[in-house]
Order: sequence, then structure tokens, then C-alpha cells
Amino acid sequence: MLPLSIKDDEYKPAKFNLPGKISGWFRSILSDKTSRNLFFFLCLNLSFAFVELSYGIWSNSLGLISDSFHMFFDCTALLAGLAASVISRWRSNDSFSYGYVRAEVLAGFVNGLFLIFTAFFIFSEGVERALEPPHVNHDRLLPVSIAGLLVNLVGIFVFQHGGHGHSHGGDDDHGHSHSMFNGSASHGHSHGGHETKHGHGDGHGHSHGGHGHSHDDPHCHDELHTPGKGSSKQILQGVFLHIVADTLGSVGVIISALLMQKYDLMIADPICSICISILIGVSVVPLLRESIGILMQQTPPALDNALPECYQRVQQLQGVYNLQEPHFWTLCTDVYIGTLKLLIAPDADSKWILSQTHSIFTQAGVRQLYVQIEVAAM
Amino acid sequence: MDDKYSSNVLSSGKLGRVEVPNARLTRYIVLLLVSKLLKALGIFESYDLLKVVHIVQFIFILKLGCAVILVFFQKPFSSGKVISKRQWIKLLKHAVISCIISLLGFFGLTLCGPLRTLLLFEHSDLVVIALLSVLFTSSGGGPSKTRGAALFIVAVICLLLFDNDDLMAKMAEHPEGHHDSALTHALYTAIAFLGVADHKGGVVLLVVSLCLKIGFHTASRKLSVEIGGAKRLYALDNLVSSVVLLPWVIVLSATTESKVESWSALILPFGMIIFSVMILEFYVESICVTKMEAPRCARYGAIFLFLSGLLLANFWTHPLTDQLRTMSKSSQQDSTETEHVLSGGVIVSAVFFIMADSILSSPSKKGQKGTLVGYSPEGTPLYNFMGDALQHTSQSLPHFIKESLKQILEEYDSRQIFYFLCLNLAFTFVELFYGVWTNSLGLISDGFHMLFDCSALVLGLFAALMTRWKATRIFSYGYGRVEILSGFINGLFLMVIAFFVFVESITRLVDPPNINTDMLTPVSVGGLLVNLVGICAFSHAHSHGAAKSSCSSHDHGHSHGHGHSEHNHGHSHGGHGHGGHGQSSHGHSHGGGMNANMRGVFLHVLADTLGSVGVIISTILIRQFGWLIADPICSLFISTLIFLSVIPLLTDAAEVLLLRTPPELEKDLNIALEKIEKVEGVLSYRDPHFWRHSASAVAGTIHLQLMSDVVEQRIIQQVTAILKDAGVNNVSVQVEKEAYFQHMSGLSTGFHEVLAMTQHMESMKYLKDGTCIM
Repeated sequence: MLPLSIKDDEYKPAKFNLPGKISGWFRSILSDKTSRNLFFFLCLNLSFAFVELSYGIWSNSLGLISDSFHMFFDCTALLAGLAASVISRWRSNDSFSYGYVRAEVLAGFVNGLFLIFTAFFIFSEGVERALEPPHVNHDRLLPVSIAGLLVNLVGIFVFQHGGHGHSHGGDDDHGHSHSMFNGSASHGHSHGGHETKHGHGDGHGHSHGGHGHSHDDPHCHDELHTPGKGSSKQILQGVFLHIVADTLGSVGVIISALLMQKYDLMIADPICSICISILIGVSVVPLLRESIGILMQQTPPALDNALPECYQRVQQLQGVYNLQEPHFWTLCTDVYIGTLKLLIAPDADSKWILSQTHSIFTQAGVRQLYVQIEVAAM
Repeated sequence: MDDKYSSNVLSSGKLGRVEVPNARLTRYIVLLLVSKLLKALGIFESYDLLKVVHIVQFIFILKLGCAVILVFFQKPFSSGKVISKRQWIKLLKHAVISCIISLLGFFGLTLCGPLRTLLLFEHSDLVVIALLSVLFTSSGGGPSKTRGAALFIVAVICLLLFDNDDLMAKMAEHPEGHHDSALTHALYTAIAFLGVADHKGGVVLLVVSLCLKIGFHTASRKLSVEIGGAKRLYALDNLVSSVVLLPWVIVLSATTESKVESWSALILPFGMIIFSVMILEFYVESICVTKMEAPRCARYGAIFLFLSGLLLANFWTHPLTDQLRTMSKSSQQDSTETEHVLSGGVIVSAVFFIMADSILSSPSKKGQKGTLVGYSPEGTPLYNFMGDALQHTSQSLPHFIKESLKQILEEYDSRQIFYFLCLNLAFTFVELFYGVWTNSLGLISDGFHMLFDCSALVLGLFAALMTRWKATRIFSYGYGRVEILSGFINGLFLMVIAFFVFVESITRLVDPPNINTDMLTPVSVGGLLVNLVGICAFSHAHSHGAAKSSCSSHDHGHSHGHGHSEHNHGHSHGGHGHGGHGQSSHGHSHGGGMNANMRGVFLHVLADTLGSVGVIISTILIRQFGWLIADPICSLFISTLIFLSVIPLLTDAAEVLLLRTPPELEKDLNIALEKIEKVEGVLSYRDPHFWRHSASAVAGTIHLQLMSDVVEQRIIQQVTAILKDAGVNNVSVQVEKEAYFQHMSGLSTGFHEVLAMTQHMESMKYLKDGTCIM
């Protein structure tokens, strides 16, 4: 009869202890491999942006300044991923009874949306510029874009490595946090002098750093140790495709810069940026679809095939009349939760049916199952 | 029959359409492809030949050559039953008609070129019959067929109206090239009488002859049975028609002098045409029809033919192919300039034709929409097919639009959003058209920005519609969450906009651009007016809706003064309606979520109006006092305002998406949980999860531990009632008795093996842990 939820002030710190909090965050960031990688990459990106900003202020180039602001904007995505990977490790409390694991999904969703927005902006700008190619001064385009490519490559390397870690890891005492990072979702695009009016006209290449789409899946409940496997594969594949597309994008920027420099093909820039934006848009769609599905409590596609078979097996149990209101949904990656109602015969052994049902659905991969048993009226 | 068969297979539980394994069919498809390619080649070649050879002579040679070969292969006289005299007469009639049809077809070819002929004339019977049945009978076979027919007609119209074949119009002035016989002259005068251009007349002619051809094919089916096979009929028909044409050809060659220098050079092309157009195509088609389903064959054939036609049309007049075609003499080189060129209209109509063919030739399938009822004892899902799901084979587009419009207008809030969206779109389009007309890039890009903003409105509208969808098997809780998601997306969207405006205004603060304010005022006043109308519309709603739920108002108006090189323009956005949010946080909206939604939209529009007022003020300041700094400060202020006001919305939506226990229910739930513990027989509870699914649905799950001697059903009912009182309307309660755990732990050793087999070691640990905890 003990109250299982403690409503004391134990969870809340007595006073706001900022240094302690920050060091706690640091520790939690550095304790996990994926969030560590994210953090380092964020630092790299931020330092790149700061160098760009300070250089821009020093040389008084508006293009570089606004480019660095764009970079900061992109860093927010990375930051969101990092925050999510920290938040998702928070314990569940009274109001968040499932814990904060969904932060991962939400972060992936937000990042996907940001990417879509960026793609849209780049696309519209590219179209605008394709109709009326501005004169882009490409003095500083090439070095900046090459530097961006280097940053991206580092990101790819780091996160590919992280992906490896995912396949290796799995036996630490935290259960198992496997990560599907969209980490270096970096996309390069070149904004060439959209402020031509200022007499500025200095085009600047601009290759974004990565956006972390973190989908990792740490333990959500103490009792929900998750075996990470299965569906992550497609995501990982999608992420990898995405990264490749982004790197191709920054390669495209370099190519267009070269074309502009060598042959004065001004049209190369808008065409490149349109292609890049389409690539980004296409690569983001699966991520968005998946995260929307999870957020909308969709029946997980991974279970789609297994569920009818499970229903069949449950209904073949002795004494089960009918199965009603099956709801299955994804809490976070690979953690599936289900509720259903069973209509059973009055003389049936409800405990046996309950345990059998649990075992059937556990085999299909459902972690938490709530079975409400209703006895049919005679 | 095929049709019936495939739909039977479809309804018998398989999800996809059952098709014959492709590996076996690939052969035939490739064969079909090759034959169609050759046919297209032949048609192109015969178009070139028809410039030199008289049409009647041409057809005669074709029929004769075909007849010779076919008689040799088919041996219609030596094999099969003897043909009676009546049948011969029928055959004669048949041949005459076929001559007339091929005459018309080839005449059409001379008029409108090979590509257009291919597009118009070479539809399979199946397609045209489906088309005609749609057009002239009431039960055409469902909306998809209607769509196909509409596409077909659009394609023909495209060819008629939008095909700017200027070169042909010139040729029509002096068509003495081939109007040296009474027949062609009569046709020409008929076309000229209709008052259409030459190639358009050809289009009409081809359509007519296509219909004739199909009717003729249908009629000749009986005859082919009588004669003994389509192949025999074809052979005999060719023979008889060459005999029919013979006197005419003799008369022609006696009266007119031929333009052909040497017939020997034409033997090869003629042979090619006879082989590809007349013989190979006929055989391949008949083989494919027997091996594959007829609709499939027709579809593939048409697509291949049109594609190869397009390809050839592209390369036929290419200098490189001219070199390859050694048989076409250099004397014809000058005529290649007047070749029928590929125009946009032709390509569009080709695309339409392909789509129409694939729709019209596809077998009509049964509608698969139904609501899930449950699962049969065998575990297969059972669907409840409503009446209309059975009647409509597929969703018809006009019907769909009508339905969704009805749905939109049904509910008050979606109706408001819809009207406002229409207004906004109208404003945008006026702006765009005006911009295009005056060639002002600033206005155009402003219009595009407005369009982008309208997307938020569209999103809200769509979410308001989608919320009302029924729950499906996949989305078992229904689509209520769409509202929250759309609110979240809109909030993010606003944040991004705010961020960009912020950055831009900062850069402009550093270096205030010289803004040309000419365009600024009318546009922003227009935007203001639109927003005012929106306010009027929404305030009406607002006054009706009981203002019981406080809503997060977020607002933004922002001015973009894009520094375009020539046209600077201020830009005050019209309202962005964020439908579908607000109710997320304010839970005491018992069905009043819509009101909160409307209120949110209203406040939003109000804020937009304030934003555009701000733009106007800054314009006036700039104009009167030359304070260029006013604009960036204004937009800075506005962007901060947006940012701050979006945050509550975002946090609310994110909380719902993170499955937080609804804050406003928290107190009730705690009381309810205490009550549950006091229910007689309940030992304790664990894992109480309550979360808001959508505005109206709160779901909850709980595990109860009961004493072993109580009646479960009673307790479940009590607990459910208690939770329902607390506001949770989708509860599932799992009861666990002492005995159950013992049972479970006893079972778990057995489990272990099963789970090890299915490689679920981790979850096994969970089960064990669970038992330990309990």
C-alpha cells in the first residue's frame, strides 16, 4: 500500500545551483558516446561560425556576418539534438510518466522541419536567382566552402564512427543506448550576395554544419531495457544517405564556385542550390514521415506484419471470445506499447490468458502491454 | 472476363494485385517493345514515302506485299474450311471498308505528321471502347475511367489548340504536293470547308477514322469467327483489298505521271514498312494478347509506341539520322524544313495520352476503403465496407473536391479559416498578377512570400479537416493529434520566420539600407485591409465562442524590405492562420477546443494587423523624417514579439507530444488515484500512464494489483468509472492477482527458451524484473 510516487521536493533542487547543474549536464553529455560526439561537433561548428563572424566583423563584410548567422541557425538544430539526447535521459516523474524519451523523436522531427524550411528557402532563392542571376563575387566563396566541406567531412567521419559504436556497444550497464544520428546533416549552399544593393556584392559561400537528428534510444524506464535492433537499420541507412547528399551538396558548391571562377557560368550557382535543396528535401521526407508516425501514435510499421498473427494466436487461446480496441504505438525507437481488451468466457482462466497474451506480444516485440480482461455476459 | 477475374483475386484477401510472374512475361514485353518501336519507325518512314508516292498507290503496295507474305505463311486457301460465296461477299465489304479506313489514316498521316498520327490513331480497341462507353453510356465504369476519358479529350484538345505547328500552316497554302487525285482533293476541300488549319483537319480526320477503325474491328470479329481465325481473315482481307484497289491504281498510273524516279530504290523502305507496320505488329500483338492480359498488353503497347514516337520525332530530322537514311534522297532535304516539329503542345498531349491510356486500359478495381471492424477468428482483419465504398470503384476527383468542401463548410472554424484563406490567396494572386504585369520583381517576390505564408493557413485548414477522420487500423487512436502537430509545426515555422527577420533587422541596423517607400504603402495598406477583414470574420466567431479557455496568442507582423537592386518594397504579410493549436494547453475545453482554436487564429490575425500597422508607421516615419532606422527597429521589435509569444504554444504542444500527464487534469487524477487505492480489494497500482492524445481524447493505462478473492470485473468497472470522471476517456486497466505472478514466474522458465529462440533476451529480463518488483 505504499504510495509509489513520491511527491516530495526531493526531485526539485532546494535552490538554483547553476554551476552544479552545468557540470551535471557536462557529465551527462560526456558520459554517452553519441552525445559526446554531438557536443564536439557542435563545438567545432560553433567555433567555425565564430571565426567567420569575427573575420566578417573585422573585414566589415556583411556577407560573412549574415552567413555566420545562418551557421548559428544551423547550430540550433545541433543544439536541439544535443538537448534532446540529454533530456531523454531524465528520469520519468509524476507528470511525465513515460519519461522524456520522446524528446529524441521530437528533436528528429524539429530538425527535419528545419531542414525542410532551409531547403525551401534555398529553393526559392535559387529560383529567384535563376531567373535573374546576380553577379556573385566569388573571391571568398571557395575558401569558405572548402572549409565548410572539411567541417562536414569531420562530421561524417565522427558520426560514421558513432554508428559503428552503435553496432558494437550494447553491454554497458545503462542498458543500451543506440543512436541513429542524423548528426552531420550538414548541407552546403551558397548564398551569393543577396544584398547587392549595398554595393557590397561580395558573395560568400556558406556551407552549413551538421544538424543533429538524434534518435538515440537510451533506457526509458528502469524496467524498459531496450534491445536495440531491427528497425534502426533503415533509419541509419536514411541518415547515411542524407549525410552523403549533404556532402555532395557542399561539393556542388565548390564545383559551382569553380565554374564561376573559371568560366563565369553565373547560372551554375542557382542550379546547384536548387539541386541541393531538392536533395535535402527528398532525404528529409522519410525521417519526417517516421517521426510524424511516432508522434501521431501510429501503429508501428515494424509490428504491422507481426500483429495480425499475434491477434490470431490470442484469439485461439482457450476461452478468448474476442479482441477489441487494439492500440499499439511507439514510445521511442524500438519501444512499443500496446493496450487491448479481451472478451473472455466466464469460465475461462483469466490469469493464464493474461500471461499467454503477454508472452505472445512480448515475442512480437511489444515492451509494455496492458490487457484489460472483460468477461462476456452469459 | 479478365477484369472479373482479377478483381476476384483482389478481394480474396491478397493486398496487392496478383500478377503473373514478371520473368516469364519480360520476353513478351520486350517483343512488344521492339515491335512497337519498329512500327513507329515504319510510320515515320511511310510519312517520308508518302511525299513521293501517291497515297492510293502506297496503300495498294502495302496491301499487296502484305497479302503476298501472309498468303505464303498462312495458306488461307489450302488450310481451313472452304469459304462460301456469301462469305466472300462479306469479305469484299470488309476489305472495302478497311481500304477506306487505311486511306483515311494515311491521309491523316500526310496532314499532321507521323508523331501526331501515332498519338491519335494507334490506340488499342480496349481504350477506345472504354472511352466511348464513358462518353455515351451512363455507366462508364467509375470515376477513374471518367478521369481517363477527360484526360484523353484534353489531350486531343491540346493537339487541336495548343500545337503551334506554324510550318504546317504554311504548307496548307500550297498543298499541290499531293492533291492530284479526286479523292484527296475532295478531302482537302472538306477540311477547308470546316475552316480549320490543315493539321487540325488531320487531327479531326484521324479521330474520326480511329472511331471507324474500332467500330470496324468490333464488327469484323464475327466475320473472323466465320472465316476461321483472325489471322486468316487478315490475310484474306489484305488480298481482297489489294484486288479492290488494283483498278484504281491502274487508272491513276495511266492518268497521272509518277514523281518517283526509281521504284527500285523504294523497295527496301516499302519492305520495311510492310514488315514492321503490317505484319510484325499484327503477330506480336496477337501473341501478347494471348499470353498476357489484354489490358496490360494494350497499356504497355501504347506507352511504348508513344515513347518511341516521341523519341523518333526528336531525332528524325536530326542531321545525323539524315546521313543514316541513305535511301531518302537529297532532293527531299529541302522538305525537311517543313517537317512537323515537336512543340510543347504535342509533348503535353503525348503525356496526357499516355496517362489516359494507362487509366482507360487498367481493369477497374474494387474500392478497398473500409473501416476495420475487428479480427476474424483466423486473425484476418475484417473490414466494414460502407455502401459507397462498394459503389465507387475509386475516388472521383470532382466528387472528392465536393466532399472536402462540404466537410470544410460543415464546421464553423474550418469554414472561417477557409474563407480567410481564399481572401488571402486572392490578395496574393492579385499582387502576383499585378507584379507580372508591371514587371516588378519586388511585388512578385512579395507575392511568393505571401504564398508561403498561406501554407500555414492551409496547414491549419488541413489539420482541422484531418482531425475529423475516423480511426484506422494504423492510426488506432484517430487523427486528433494532427491538430497538435500542426500547431507545433506552425509555431516552429513562426520561430524560424522570427529568427530570420531578427537577423535581417540586425544586419540592417548596422547598415540601414535606403528603402524606396513608393511600393510600401499600397501593399501594406492592402495587407492591413485583408487582415482587418480577417479580424471581422474571426471576431464574430470569437464573440460566439464562449471565452472560457485562455489561449496563447502569438502574433507576428513583419516587414521585409528586401534590398533588391531596383525594387525595394516593404512587405506586410497578411494574416497567418494557425489553425489547430491552443487547445493543447487548455484542457478544460470539453469540446470547446475548437473555440480555443478560433480564438488563437483571431488573436493571430489581430497581431498581424498590428504588425502591418507598424510597417505603415515606420513607412511614414521614413518618409516624413527620413529615419531609416525605424524600419529595422520595428522589425526587431516585432520579431521579438513573435518569438516570445510562440514559446508558450511550443511548450504546450511539445508537452503533449512528449506524453505529459495533462497539467489541468493532474489534480483530478491524483484524487482519482487515491480513490482507486481505496476501492475495496485493490492492493496497489503501478505504472499509471495518462496522456492527452488530442483535444478531446485523454488516454490512460494502469496496472492494478488485486486481492485474490475479489471479482475483477466489478473493480475494473469501478476504476474505469473513477478515471472517466477524472476526464480520462480511453482507459485500459490490467488487473493482476497474486496467483497471476506465481503463474508468471512458473511460466517464465518456459518462456525463456521461446524468447531465446526469438532473440528477445532483454525483454525477458524485463519480465523477470517485473515479477521481482511485484
